[in-house]
Amino acid sequence: MSAKVLAFINFKGGVGKTACAVNIAATMAKLHDKKVLIVDLDPQSNSSLWLMRPDVWREHVAKGRRSTFEIFDDAIQGKDRFDFDESIVKGVTTWTGFVELPQLHLLPASVELLRIEDRIHELRPPALYRILDRALRDRLDRYDYVFFDCPPNLYTTTKNAIFLSDSCVVPYVPDYLSLSGFQVLAEYIEELRGKYTDSAGERRHPNVGAVVVSHYRQTGNVFRLAINELEIMLAQLHDRHVLESGAGLLQPFIRHCVRVAESTSEHLPVILYAPGCIGAQDYSDLTQNFVTHFQNRK
Amino acid sequence: MNYQELAGKLLHVAERLQKHGNKLDGDVIGKSAVKLATDIEQFDATLDGFLASRKSGELLLETLLRSPAAKKHLSLDLLRKALREACSKRLKAEELVAAKREFVETVHEQDRAEAASKFLKHAFAEAAYVAPAGKEKGQLQQEFYALGRLSEDEYATTIAKRTFGELRRLAATNGIRFTDKTTKPHLIKMIRRYARRLATNLPSVAA
Repeated sequence: MSAKVLAFINFKGGVGKTACAVNIAATMAKLHDKKVLIVDLDPQSNSSLWLMRPDVWREHVAKGRRSTFEIFDDAIQGKDRFDFDESIVKGVTTWTGFVELPQLHLLPASVELLRIEDRIHELRPPALYRILDRALRDRLDRYDYVFFDCPPNLYTTTKNAIFLSDSCVVPYVPDYLSLSGFQVLAEYIEELRGKYTDSAGERRHPNVGAVVVSHYRQTGNVFRLAINELEIMLAQLHDRHVLESGAGLLQPFIRHCVRVAESTSEHLPVILYAPGCIGAQDYSDLTQNFVTHFQNRK
Repeated sequence: MNYQELAGKLLHVAERLQKHGNKLDGDVIGKSAVKLATDIEQFDATLDGFLASRKSGELLLETLLRSPAAKKHLSLDLLRKALREACSKRLKAEELVAAKREFVETVHEQDRAEAASKFLKHAFAEAAYVAPAGKEKGQLQQEFYALGRLSEDEYATTIAKRTFGELRRLAATNGIRFTDKTTKPHLIKMIRRYARRLATNLPSVAA
């Protein structure tokens, strides 16, 4: 098995990084028979708390153990405590008390990740960018897909995810603020490619491979025009070779759906919580197109 | 709890039973044992059903029929095609719920769950697929962007050469909503407004 490793990134918050990572991964596991690992790199631990009940999560990652924090902490302290098999959470526990989606695994985050950024600069590139790579690379081939749910910034944890990834997925909300940030993001990722090549001495190829849109509403001109602006920007970035060839805007766009928001309180992906709602329908179609898009890429 | 943990628990109880079985005695443990035996029998039957349906493809078919994709894309017409394809049968029901029932029963009778699942999976994937935009869309988007960079006078001169039909196509492609009652002058104003906005919002990308 050779995993497709994808970083869900956007330095703008509230664009649906976690919602996309969690719901696409769950839909892949449920309907496409894919084995998927979500690696939560956000100190807010949103994908962990979406898929785990708070008490279970707190116990699992107590003192930062068995979480992505431990990987970075080990690197800083020169220790080797992180145990992958002990750290991953297999499946999602439903209210029956039994686990569903056994093919969906999660490597949770803990809030201690907040403190990493201040200490991590004791390390220097290329070691600085290779922390996740060293800890996880040998484990990834157990999966069809590995998703990094990145924090809303482009600091060290995100750079580590980009370094290890085959491609970046940018969740996007159709408005001008997202548009202005997108160009900066795409250019920054392109710039990182050069840095990685120079510092690591090997060619990495992370770049924007897909854009997924959430919080979409079909009323009026607003969102249609915003999508049009994004499409034109994507075409122009393609012309400048800033994006991967074939990178594009995946459809359908995820419409705003209250059941998706509610599913976070139930600690279930929407495909388990409300499979009939429009959010689940949109994620189902998007996942189908997502799988087709990425399986056709090297 | 997951199923591996349950298996561990059952093994633990089984080992203890085997070790101490000949010493166990009395009503309390006897009644509890009868209850456990009944529950195990029921669970065993459920497990049998699950494994059999998984093997025959019926589990996948059920998952597909209950999936979000089915909610969105499953129609009477699609069920007709699926039944014809998988079982070479005509669907009699004229209403979706009844048709689903008839479909499942026929597929089960003919043991064709795998073929039916394959057909539905392909049909849902096709329904979800969005064809990439053609060259014309890209050209109209570039034209829209270029219009936004023109001065008022240049815009007036350029746009005057366009027919109403061309303007409507340009507007529709670029996300501008209008109705049959929208007049040509109003459409020209809307195109100007949003094209200028686009050129302001994307000034440096092309640079």
